[in-house]
Amino acid sequence: MRILIADDEEPARARLRSLVQECSGCEVVGEAANGRAALLMCSSDAPDIVLLDIRMPAMDGLETAMHLTTLEHPPAVIFTTAYGDYALEAFETHAVDYLLKPIRRERLEQALAKACKLTRAQIARLGAVSGKQRARTHICVRRRGNLQLVPVADIRYFQADQKYVTVCFPGGQVLIEESLKALEQEFGEAFTRIHRNALVANAHLAGLVRQPSGHFQVSLRGIEEQLEVSRRHAPALRRRLKDLRA
Amino acid sequence: MNQPSQAPEGAVKSGGSDGLFLPDFCNVRVVFAVVIISELLAFVLTLAPTGARSDVWDGLSLISLFVQWVALSSTALLCLARPWLRRFGNRPAAGFSYLIVLAVTAALSEITYRIAHHADIGVVLPAYWHSGFLLRNLGIGAIVGAVALRYFYVQYQWKRHIEAEARARVQALQARIRPHFLFNSMNTIAALTRSRPELAEEAVQDLADVFRATLGDAHSQFSLETELTVARRYLHIEKLRLGERLTVEWDIGDLPLDAQLPALTLQPLLENAIYHGIEPLPEGGTIRIEGRLENGAVRLVISNPLPPAAQRTRSRGNRMALDNIRERMAFAYGGRGALKINESDTRFTVELSFPAAPPAEAPQEGA
Repeated sequence: MRILIADDEEPARARLRSLVQECSGCEVVGEAANGRAALLMCSSDAPDIVLLDIRMPAMDGLETAMHLTTLEHPPAVIFTTAYGDYALEAFETHAVDYLLKPIRRERLEQALAKACKLTRAQIARLGAVSGKQRARTHICVRRRGNLQLVPVADIRYFQADQKYVTVCFPGGQVLIEESLKALEQEFGEAFTRIHRNALVANAHLAGLVRQPSGHFQVSLRGIEEQLEVSRRHAPALRRRLKDLRA
Repeated sequence: MNQPSQAPEGAVKSGGSDGLFLPDFCNVRVVFAVVIISELLAFVLTLAPTGARSDVWDGLSLISLFVQWVALSSTALLCLARPWLRRFGNRPAAGFSYLIVLAVTAALSEITYRIAHHADIGVVLPAYWHSGFLLRNLGIGAIVGAVALRYFYVQYQWKRHIEAEARARVQALQARIRPHFLFNSMNTIAALTRSRPELAEEAVQDLADVFRATLGDAHSQFSLETELTVARRYLHIEKLRLGERLTVEWDIGDLPLDAQLPALTLQPLLENAIYHGIEPLPEGGTIRIEGRLENGAVRLVISNPLPPAAQRTRSRGNRMALDNIRERMAFAYGGRGALKINESDTRFTVELSFPAAPPAEAPQEGA
């Protein structure tokens, strides 16, 4: 079994590494210090099992597990944590197991054995996430087999076009297959609807520009493009701008 | 309305659990109390007049009847009105209930007068007595109502004060046992046992020292020296766990190391600093601890970095810990101890100040 260890603390990783090495048939193929790194490693190395610490900077274990399910060959997820305050959420993600640190060797062996017994199809089904989710911190896009993670904080706008949504950020643009409505529900706090087909980030709102035609366009920091604001959504946008300036 | 024998249901008497300071007039015990008090009031009103009265018992029965009628009608109305009253704050609710009682008094006085005047029940009321009757009853109702409201309010405040104190004690106990720190430290020690046993041994001893301080009495005091030592031990363990991600800068001037402060004031602040400041940052950051003696007061400033606003979690635990420390400082120093918070875009700063000289009442010595 090929195993990836994800934990932000070096001593914790070191311990898991030596414990795993003592389990027969298991080898550590990589170590990650946060969720982003874990996700990228999983997409490039395709481990069988990932030991995921829940509390990590940049992207926590729960969100990482959620993104892992979108991979072609998702690994089995075993959560580790020092204190069991995320037990309920973790169970909702149907992880294979949930281990409390410091982890006993027998307990780890039990969990790894459980993961070994699962077929790929079962793992894929187990990985499905249910229950209410917190807003993601990154958008995960797969491009020609590579995984690209776009931090939500960098995103300037979402624009819908037929079945796809364009995600625009200073580094470029990507396409994702999600509905704008679902994105609005998830990121409603940080984004404002300006048009039937566009969502803009509050943090990067620069201002409203009036066009000679009488329509308004919104300008965003960091990009040249200005987006058209529909008449229906203009009042809400103006209110948001006022709240942000206050 | 305050029966001496208070069972747990006695709590119902001193204000309802919905935050309204008025007792729950729908409750049988409360109604019973109203009846008793009304009857006592009737007695007082009967015994009071010194003028000749035909028959004391006759007067008492009529007055009882009237007083009970007013009291029970008011109680019934207040019971029915409770859901409506609850929507307002305590002050408007008090005003409205007062008005209800007065309105009931006025209405029933009017009805009583008309009955006595038109029907023949053996009581003769002179015509000019009408307004006098009304005003006298209103006067009694106003005074009794005001006294009752004041009483309910005072009792409610008292109950809340006791509850707040109990809560502070529970919090003081809970704030001390931080599972996150405990289990993470144990995990670190378990790891070090294999790779660096001598560091593991040190860490175990540091952990023992920190928890010895943590598990002590909530109301004891430490010397500044002890507090700083506990803080150093704590940070030592966390440095083993976080490695390069944690940098600590100490900038302590010449401080009176025997100054007293409430036990475990500094360590929880550092714990918060690490939990909310260092851990969420992939590269970690620097915690600064500054200590100065200024005008007879010790000033400790603890600052930590903050993750970008989007990633900050509103933590109840954080605020509870800060409130808890603020409360304990206020308890120990009155106005002379302070906790100030400053939150900028990138840094979070907590400033603690307390007098260098021990406070007047000598508390118990801590560790």
